[in-house]
Amino acid sequence: MSKKGNDMNPLVQTKEIIKTYTLGRTEVHALRGLSLDIEPGEFTAISGPSGSGKTTLLNLLGLIDSPTSGTVFLEGSQVKYNGLTKLHSIRLEKLGFIFQTFNLIPVLTAYENVEYPLLLAKKSSLQRREMVEKVLREVRLWEFRKHKPNELSGGQRQRVAIARALVNRPKLILADEPTANIDSATASEILDLMHALNEEDNVTFLFSTHDQLVMQHARRIVKLHDGVIIRD
Amino acid sequence: MSNFMRLSFKNVFRNRRRTAITGLVLVFGATALILAGGFIAYSFRGLSESTIHGELGHIQLFNKEYLLHEEDRPLELGLDSADAMKKKIMMVDHVRFTMARIDFMGLISNGDKSEAFLGRGVEPDKELKLSDLGLNMDRGQFLDQDPSDMKDNQVVLASGLAKTMKAKLGDYLTLMTTMSTGALNALDVKVVGVYSTGIPEYDERALMVDLNTAQQILNSKKVTKLVVVLDQTDETTKVAAQLERMFPNVTAKRWFDLATFYNSVVRLYNAIFGFLGIIIFVIVVLSSSNTMMMSIFERTKGIGTQLAVGTSRPRLMLNFVCEGLIIGVLGALLGLAIAYGLSVLINNSNIMMPAPPGRTTGYPLLVDTVPMLFAGVFVLMSLTTVVSSVIPAFKASRLKIVDALGHI
Repeated sequence: MSKKGNDMNPLVQTKEIIKTYTLGRTEVHALRGLSLDIEPGEFTAISGPSGSGKTTLLNLLGLIDSPTSGTVFLEGSQVKYNGLTKLHSIRLEKLGFIFQTFNLIPVLTAYENVEYPLLLAKKSSLQRREMVEKVLREVRLWEFRKHKPNELSGGQRQRVAIARALVNRPKLILADEPTANIDSATASEILDLMHALNEEDNVTFLFSTHDQLVMQHARRIVKLHDGVIIRD
Repeated sequence: MSNFMRLSFKNVFRNRRRTAITGLVLVFGATALILAGGFIAYSFRGLSESTIHGELGHIQLFNKEYLLHEEDRPLELGLDSADAMKKKIMMVDHVRFTMARIDFMGLISNGDKSEAFLGRGVEPDKELKLSDLGLNMDRGQFLDQDPSDMKDNQVVLASGLAKTMKAKLGDYLTLMTTMSTGALNALDVKVVGVYSTGIPEYDERALMVDLNTAQQILNSKKVTKLVVVLDQTDETTKVAAQLERMFPNVTAKRWFDLATFYNSVVRLYNAIFGFLGIIIFVIVVLSSSNTMMMSIFERTKGIGTQLAVGTSRPRLMLNFVCEGLIIGVLGALLGLAIAYGLSVLINNSNIMMPAPPGRTTGYPLLVDTVPMLFAGVFVLMSLTTVVSSVIPAFKASRLKIVDALGHI
């Protein structure tokens, strides 16, 4: 990444990003010159109908996809997609992901799933134990630490996923439709939890959603349609 | 590292049935290689010992010229101070005993018909010491061990030649051959025994007489060669080199330099074993590659997740290679245990194998337990699964994260 040279940078900034997919002979324009700033501590929902570009935007901000054109800045540094930058290290240290379908590693227990990013970050055994316990207690799953994902409810799995996303204390957590696969009561509970984490630890949350409940919790809503922001 | 190994280990047992099938292929492969290799090792050992003790001894000493030039007359290029040489040879470490032989040929006649023969003059007592495995007397007895006891010149005939000559024990036959001077000579010999060598072609022509009888008919005091028998086969090369240094005009041939049949069998068996190894290698590679590819297909979304949360692509690849290694190690260990059990079972079952090509007698089916073979098969099986996991692992590590996450 290359530094922009401004101390008051947004946490994430996109400038005129375009993302075009080629499906057979058809070109799909998922994002059409989108510019967006996300400041530290935001609790923002990106809404819009299916195909509006929500997930594509999250993927680009999460550095798991690259734009066709335009630039992405993370903490003021431009993200380079040339293969020379170790994007996996940036994802590990600065970003956390929460997926619609939880995406836990099925052979690992709740504890081990949460511990996984810490292993990648080469934390010591003692550090790992302290950090995993802290975050599992925060999401109220310490008692379920030895359970495998298939032994947990949907809400519990999503809380494990939140714990995994949080454990490395990232700057930004990207949540792609985090309440889509859980009932409304559990969804409300999950959102309360994320809200608390946002307020207490100043963790920045960015959701893609078309769930009204999520939008009610959000302090900022960015509405997309056909790859452009139509309301912010 | 151990934590990531733990993840690989858990992934191996995620789909137990498929892992079990791959494991069974490995077990089958390891077992087949060890049993085949053990049988071949036994065959080589048995064949080398029967070659040494049935025929060649460990080392044979020739006049240097004998192996380079064709003799114009019998014993022209023989050893002429055999007794003195024998005394010196007996001083060398690991030498059990040494004995002289004379090879000659001619015609044998019963008065009605004549046949060509391949004769050998021997020291009977020492030949019996050597031939505890190879010389099977069908009828009668071997040559008298003390030549001074012989009233007649004795001969023992190979079974095929005895049949051709319609010879019975006690019959007198006439040997005719060229003397070392070039003139013809003939000698009456009494049939005292009939033996089998196990090689049909040789049984049609072979006979043995006492060394003195051979020297008498050839009219020479020379011998064709000296045979040296050692207490340890492994010392052959070392002692042969030592003997060549002791006798500058002598060539010392080790048993395996002379054992054409043994060398042919070794080449044949090694080719068969190599071919078997390649087939098993291919089966294991295909099977475990298929397992890994299926596993990657099933876990595509999980791979996407692992990459998304910060796993590097080399780390992910290493995880899959570790899975291959774990399957390989476990399958190979189980295969080694089963192969060992089967070896013990086979060795206690008294199964007889049919006679090999060129032989008339069968032999017991036994399987040697060779530690190096076990180690080699273990390494081969483990590496095979590692090799077969590399391409699937590479493919997994190159997946596009967004595509993998979108995989259903």
